[in-house]
Amino acid sequence: MAVILRRLGMPVFSSLTRQTLSAPCSAIASSGTLRHINHTTTVMPELEEHGGASEREKTRKWLTYNDKLYPPTKPGETPRPAFVCHMKENIKYSPKKMWYVACFVRGMSIDEALKQLEFVNRKGALVVKETILEAQQLAIEKHNVEFKSNLWVAESFVSKGVTVKGMRRHARMRAGIIKYRYCHYYVRLEEGKPPENYYNRPSRDKETLLNDWLQRMRYRRIVGSL
Amino acid sequence: MFSFRAIRKIECCSHSVLGTCGSLGINLGGVRTTIAKHWNPKFKKLRSQKVLKVELPDYQELNKPFNEFTREEIRSKMKERGILPHRWWGDRPFFIASTGSVFEPYVPPEGDGKVSVITAQGAKQKLEFVEKKGKSMMALRKIRNFEEDFNYKEFVKIAEDTYIRGHQAMINKDRDKIVQFITERAYPEVVNNIGDKTVVWEFVSSIEPPTVVHLRCTDVITKENIFAQITVRFHTQQILAVYDRFGRLMHGSETIPKDVLEYVVFERHMANKYGRWRIHDKIIPDWMPPKEPSLRTYVVDFTDDEPQVPSVQEQPSSVASTG
Repeated sequence: MAVILRRLGMPVFSSLTRQTLSAPCSAIASSGTLRHINHTTTVMPELEEHGGASEREKTRKWLTYNDKLYPPTKPGETPRPAFVCHMKENIKYSPKKMWYVACFVRGMSIDEALKQLEFVNRKGALVVKETILEAQQLAIEKHNVEFKSNLWVAESFVSKGVTVKGMRRHARMRAGIIKYRYCHYYVRLEEGKPPENYYNRPSRDKETLLNDWLQRMRYRRIVGSL
Repeated sequence: MFSFRAIRKIECCSHSVLGTCGSLGINLGGVRTTIAKHWNPKFKKLRSQKVLKVELPDYQELNKPFNEFTREEIRSKMKERGILPHRWWGDRPFFIASTGSVFEPYVPPEGDGKVSVITAQGAKQKLEFVEKKGKSMMALRKIRNFEEDFNYKEFVKIAEDTYIRGHQAMINKDRDKIVQFITERAYPEVVNNIGDKTVVWEFVSSIEPPTVVHLRCTDVITKENIFAQITVRFHTQQILAVYDRFGRLMHGSETIPKDVLEYVVFERHMANKYGRWRIHDKIIPDWMPPKEPSLRTYVVDFTDDEPQVPSVQEQPSSVASTG
């Protein structure tokens, strides 16, 4: 949701939230204090590829992939699948713990991922689910995706966020540091069906299992035999 | 001894449920089986004193966009910090280089034709034509006050050139050029939604030469400050194809030219010596056949949610207009 609003030209600064609270009239009014005051700003909106995003967002490379413009495909060529990059930053959750959830949904179709996440008993699962749902909405509203179920999780990964350091008392006048970690979660949804075997796992069908077993049996070594 | 542990276990579970997922009712924490805490609760306080309390920032809440707060939330937060609501401090922007609308717009006749003069309808139309033509002549005289050698022949050439170059500036997303050929009133409409699209547009030919159908003048604030608007009828062949961000065709075709009939309003600030004729608006008649539907389908949202106004005070609309 945040990104949708940012794309609409609403300025979102991390430091601005307090300022906007002090000036609750409108987002435009508060942005006037930050931007160069120019009467043309509101009446002549900038082109979308130029404006809209805040400074903080510009530093986020992940979201800039959403702004890339690809050249038209020729009639004979296969159409390029649509994708949408989305992220949630500074989630109060350990990046190490989030890694499990991020890897879990990778390579799943969106419906499958949302279904599976319901049964993951981790705090991160909720955040991932929320992020995927937001990305899905973005894909439909902003990136010309026709069917919301026709998406799959092409990329899903975690990075470290802010770490707040806390203090802890130890014996003999010593102190310890507690690290309260935050993480960023990134997701890219792509249009189309997920690949058959994303992680390149060994096949588990009847035929292969039987053949494997047979082979194992044939190559086994019987101790004490010829 | 056992009971203490059991109670603690339950506490732990219920806390994790309420604390993290609230109404969803999923146990996210799991049940702890090994507890490395002393069984006697009298040390609980001492244990908690070992860790200094840190107020952890909730970045999800801090970075929430302003619009997502409800009025009540804003009010309570401001009250918490003792901030009084600001006075609305918005200047109403307006341009003096162009007007905010089309005055006395041209009404294209049904089917772009004329009704027979013998019928009552036809006679009425004829009378209207005469009346309007009179007004147009008055406007023409006013234009000639500023520009002595104004004639239709020359103007139509400029209009066609502006039309083509304006469209080219639009598809090239050249902001500096766009304002040279398009007025500030039309600018938001032109620029809307083109940021992430690739537009292929080509002017093939004119089927009929462009003609001036309507002229109007108006003065703003002072008598000498005159704006002129001229409606030109274009009957042309054009190619239009719109591609989305990924280069997939959204609308039109790059190969099939289409006949386009348009009534384009050009405006010029006559009092400005260096003013130029720019596209101000396009007149879309009521009788125009419906547009070609887009290639993709949409899910229509029928929920009638009223948009929430995020402000505490009423805000005046900041629409461009002239005096």
